[in-house]
Amino acid sequence: MNGIMLATAYLAAVNPPRTRLGMPESAAGGRGRPGVAVLGAASALMAVAALAGGSGTILAIVEVTPEMFRVAAGIVVAVAAIATLFRPRPAEEPEASGWRAALWPVFFPRLLGAEVVALALATGSTEGAAASVVAAALAFGLVVVLGAVRRGRLGDRLLLNTGRLVTVWLMVVAVYLIVDGIRAV
Amino acid sequence: MKRRLAVHLSLWALGLVVLRVAVIPAEVCPPVDAAGVRRAVSEAADWIVRGLGEDGRFVYGYDLAADEVSTDYNAARHAGVTMSLYQVFEATGDPGYLAAADTGLGYMLDRLVDGEGWTAWTEPGWDVATGANGLFLAGLALRHRATGDPSLDEVMRGVGAFLVGQQEENGAVLAYRSIGTGEPMTGWYDPFATGEAAWALVLLGRALPGEGWVESALPVIDYIANERDAAEGYVTRLPDHWAAYALGDLPVEHLDETRIGLAARLAGYFGMRLRFEAQRTGEGVNLWLRWYPGPPAGVGTAGEGIGALLPLTLTEPALQGLRRNVEERLVCTAGMMVDRQVTGEKASSMPRPHLARGAWFYRGYTQMDDQQHVLSALLAALPVVEAKEGER
Repeated sequence: MNGIMLATAYLAAVNPPRTRLGMPESAAGGRGRPGVAVLGAASALMAVAALAGGSGTILAIVEVTPEMFRVAAGIVVAVAAIATLFRPRPAEEPEASGWRAALWPVFFPRLLGAEVVALALATGSTEGAAASVVAAALAFGLVVVLGAVRRGRLGDRLLLNTGRLVTVWLMVVAVYLIVDGIRAV
Repeated sequence: MKRRLAVHLSLWALGLVVLRVAVIPAEVCPPVDAAGVRRAVSEAADWIVRGLGEDGRFVYGYDLAADEVSTDYNAARHAGVTMSLYQVFEATGDPGYLAAADTGLGYMLDRLVDGEGWTAWTEPGWDVATGANGLFLAGLALRHRATGDPSLDEVMRGVGAFLVGQQEENGAVLAYRSIGTGEPMTGWYDPFATGEAAWALVLLGRALPGEGWVESALPVIDYIANERDAAEGYVTRLPDHWAAYALGDLPVEHLDETRIGLAARLAGYFGMRLRFEAQRTGEGVNLWLRWYPGPPAGVGTAGEGIGALLPLTLTEPALQGLRRNVEERLVCTAGMMVDRQVTGEKASSMPRPHLARGAWFYRGYTQMDDQQHVLSALLAALPVVEAKEGER
């Protein structure tokens, strides 16, 4: 997976436009809560770093080769993409109060979805932890930036449809992972 | 919030279980050492040798449950098993295996037919099969390499001419030549004869350099790389271990982008096959999702195929990235197959221990090519296992 593919794979898995639709809003409404978004994104990035960095050990413990896991990751990503296509708007989640909203629902389940975890383990063991963390940082960074997008009818429609397009790319990523895993030695 | 968290975590747990059971069961590679691999090779080769009759034919197959020896026979498998005994002799230097291989070879030499400029062997009354002659020639060339004996060089040239005569303009290889007309039978192809012919011609070129035999194999290899699967109507690309042998033995000056690409593709097929095999336990839910541990000949062909490509990963820059994985797959294959082989102790409680000891069974049946392919795979794995032991 080259750098562009890796970066876009994480962008597709995190799907910042869609995620923005499920982020906690400021009390005044319309905009996200930057502090919560930053803390949630930083937590998710640490989780990706841990998963990618420990992917070799984790896969060795469960006796799965990185190549075979790539196929599994592709399947997980494909299932996530299909589910997202059918439900483009994230489910409503009750928010924890104060800064804890960064952990629930931002860190989990918004940012650390199954597709992100699968991708972190797959790319960490093949493309390397550093490259995976950089790619994930771009995606999580975009989530923080999109917090500035004002929600509203037009904004939501834009986010929803962009999220759909990103999901289509996620499907491409899934196929890529499966084929790459099958063709790997 | 707790309820939603519980819902999410339950879905994750369910997903993980499904993933683990259905997609990524543990890939189990039993530990193995060089002594174990050598012992398994000898046991398998001894199974073949014990089954060698005075007429030069081998025991074809044995059904353990029915306690029946198969009365079938197959020319290509006879030639293949003979060839594998030469591989064993080359690796071990044990003259007993050379003698057995020569007996198997004698069976074919007794059945030679001559045409215009070519020689080949066939069972009396049968059309001449390309595959059986490809492996016959491969055996002859390995014998030449291992013993230096030139006495059969003319036979080798005759069989080489036969194989070249089976080629079509695009490199396709016809599977048979009519014993009646002496002409190749157009429109008949075989999944393995093409690769067998290619490998045999490469080996012949190695044995008798400067006579153009390697060059005559190149169109066949390129046909396999570019056209064969679609042209001959295969739904998927064939994981052709014979083509892998041809590539592995091809002199380096003939390795171009197309052939290196074929080698990489083949390594991928064999790697996937072997990783999948390592997931099989043949028990419980795994049995329903992965079925029984694969037929030994199937596992063996994947092992020998990937083993044949190993030298390319040492020398070809474009393939060097595959080396670690190729070695891992080979060691894993060796571990699996050493573990699955019927030991002398286990065989002693079976109806006919001499037909069980050293064999690999698939659902109670073993066939000569099960032993042939697996022992070839083990021979390919042996240097890697030895090297890993040396590193410790």
